[in-house]
Amino acid sequence: MKYAILVALREFAENAKTKGFWLGILMVPGLIYASITASSFLEKTKPVRNFVLVDQSGELEETVQQALDRLHQRNVMGELASYLKKHAKLPEGELELDLEKMPAFDAKAMAEKWASDNPDTLDQFLKAGGLEIALAQLAGVLKEGAPEFEEPKRPFRAVSLPEGVSADLAPAELAEALKPWLRGDRTIEVEGEQADLFAAVIVPADILERTVRPGGLPVLPGNEKLGIQYWSSNLADDDLKDEIERSINDEVRKREYEVKGVDPTAVTAVQRTYLPFSALNPKKEAGSEAVSMADQIRQWAPVGFVYLLWIAIFTIAQMLLNNTIEEKSNRIIEVLLSSVTPGELMMGKLMGIAGVGLTMIGCWILFGFGILKWNAGPEAKIVNEVLGVLQHSGMIWSFLIYFVLGYLFYAGAFLAIGSLCNTLKEAQNMMTPVMLVMMVPLMTMMFIPKDPNGTLATVLSWIPCYTPFIMMNRAAADPPLFERVGTLALLIASTIGMLWLSGKIFRLAILRTGQPPKFMELVRWLRSA
Amino acid sequence: MHVLELEHVTKLYGDFRAVDEVSFSVHEGSITGFLGPNGAGKTTTLRMILGILKPTSGKIAVFGAPSALEVRSRVGYLPEEKGLYKKMKCWAIVAYFATLKGVDRKTAKRRAYELLERYGLKDFADKRTEALSKGMGQKVQVLASIAHDPELVIFDEPFSGLDPVNQQVLEEVLLDLKKKGRTVLFSTHVMQHAERLCERILLIAKGKKLFDGTVAEALRTIPKKLVIECQDDVTPLRGMAGVLELTPVAAAKAGTYAVRLREDADPQEILASCFERGIRLRRFDHSDPTLHEVFVNMVGPEAREASFR
Repeated sequence: MKYAILVALREFAENAKTKGFWLGILMVPGLIYASITASSFLEKTKPVRNFVLVDQSGELEETVQQALDRLHQRNVMGELASYLKKHAKLPEGELELDLEKMPAFDAKAMAEKWASDNPDTLDQFLKAGGLEIALAQLAGVLKEGAPEFEEPKRPFRAVSLPEGVSADLAPAELAEALKPWLRGDRTIEVEGEQADLFAAVIVPADILERTVRPGGLPVLPGNEKLGIQYWSSNLADDDLKDEIERSINDEVRKREYEVKGVDPTAVTAVQRTYLPFSALNPKKEAGSEAVSMADQIRQWAPVGFVYLLWIAIFTIAQMLLNNTIEEKSNRIIEVLLSSVTPGELMMGKLMGIAGVGLTMIGCWILFGFGILKWNAGPEAKIVNEVLGVLQHSGMIWSFLIYFVLGYLFYAGAFLAIGSLCNTLKEAQNMMTPVMLVMMVPLMTMMFIPKDPNGTLATVLSWIPCYTPFIMMNRAAADPPLFERVGTLALLIASTIGMLWLSGKIFRLAILRTGQPPKFMELVRWLRSA
Repeated sequence: MHVLELEHVTKLYGDFRAVDEVSFSVHEGSITGFLGPNGAGKTTTLRMILGILKPTSGKIAVFGAPSALEVRSRVGYLPEEKGLYKKMKCWAIVAYFATLKGVDRKTAKRRAYELLERYGLKDFADKRTEALSKGMGQKVQVLASIAHDPELVIFDEPFSGLDPVNQQVLEEVLLDLKKKGRTVLFSTHVMQHAERLCERILLIAKGKKLFDGTVAEALRTIPKKLVIECQDDVTPLRGMAGVLELTPVAAAKAGTYAVRLREDADPQEILASCFERGIRLRRFDHSDPTLHEVFVNMVGPEAREASFR
């Protein structure tokens, strides 16, 4: 055992001392953080986009202006909310989140609610006087030394037509005249500075007559220019287009209500009407059956764990393979075997590399929570709650058990492959089937939670090489005890079997040179040994 | 006392007899050369001694133990094919192998630096082994195999791949070990090294032991030989005492003869009697046989045919 530990320490040190290892550890959370912040960073640094709106009908310009203003006010309100979260003095305990009591949110419904342009809150915010009044009221509750609130930039700015282009031109001619600006060949002057024209919107004079009603003909290809024209050479950024299109259609519908004798305010009121609806969980105690935030975390955390488990097992088993091949191709193995038994060597390698893997995962998890904590705000509280939930539900322990068993199982396979091959290239050929087998849990990862005790999940659970992933995947749904114990026993038995087999192959193959043996040859060896 | 004893050791690979009924023993404090052509079974024998391979039959005793692993701290081994961890520093690798032999880490580190300094690798001690040339790396590996101060050292082809200067250094290492009373068994096919360093030699070919004894005994296995060259009639020599055989050397100039002598014959007497009989010699070559000749004589024809493994 002492020698196995010495081998393990060296394996660990060799990997842990390389810059690449730490770079890899730092890269993952770095990338995650970057991908989280990049989008908001990009949003913040996006230049103001200038557009011209030529409304020849004279009916819709105001609507568009109002909609864009409202969009801006919504941004302001959102920013103000997160500003408050960060800098407001809050009474003790105010932000204590209890995820068990917090109703689960349905992202889809939420998005729909936000997308409708009539959230009450925005109305109230604007009615109360908007940002200026809000800031004045908040002055008292801010923490000492809180920075000034920065009003977000308006994303869009309506500019007047460039000089020499008349708004009275026919839509087609107007578009033609604006093309040099839209293509970026010429720039417009805005507030004394030269700027690019992002888009041009041309509303023909007879636009309201072209309203398409149910039963009417849609716009046919080739007739696009008869409707409202949105000209822009940037095809990817369609925020402006969507906003204008939506606001114009809202306006047209509003007018349509009036035509049909319906009161638009009544419509708005109707649109904000709903029946209370909540998801309940029959497995919970009476009185607290509501599906809570914690339930959601419990439901989806396993998927995260499956992914983590997969990456960890795969990465470190790969390390083990490389490392065994290095020793074999360098012939260091012979010196090692004159000092330690193959069993000690194998155990040492398994332990050393597992240590490397655990360090890696540990660092990632720490970094992950570190980022969330450091980013402060109420998210930090959620992190603590998540940790609490995981601890309570025993998921951490399942993760550890399945990690150890899964790692030993796959490490055994990879070690045997490593000992059979002399070069990485040979190993890669033999790896292909193992890789294919390993892909399955990744593919089923998202389906299993939807039918956690279904046939697919049950069958896969009983296949030892999938047990760790699938059982982890199902953890939230409390699979039957019989299955939990049975699959675990089978997994333990097959892990022992795998280690025994790979130990045998390892001993036989480790000093061999030349071509890796064919499968039948291998069977013959194992029989004769 | 016998440090190492092999009795009827046989190793089969399928039907192939890699080592066939080999028995020998190694005395404490001796340097033994293990000779044999390629594919003779030297490496297999050494691996079995170290417990890396299991013999098919026969008995091996290292310090009385059946497996070298049980006495690993007393045995040092340098394998035939040399390799090091590329990313490790020289001192670390020497120290690592010493700790695997049971030396504690602090002592191992100190010994590693001592050894590297002593055998001319001081400047490389803190370099990674990938920065070393092949020969240097081999020296590091030799040091790694003796850093735990073993009583029995087994080297497989230690000289191959070293330049003459470093071969000299390695000879020093071996002689230092001998001075300390350590036992050394090393395989080689460079006969000069064996002749210079060994007290005993062990010769195997095709898995079978051909010779086991002192160097002097080995040299005695081939008869003394003279080469003479003259234009006169050499028939009178044939009858002389001590001359066993007189044959013209076909490959050389006409008038060149090889004379085989009896073991106790004195070449000086032959020379004297040539003068007496008026045989005018143009050449009279007398040199003691070398281990090289012994080797070629014993395994010559077989070595060419031996299957390379």
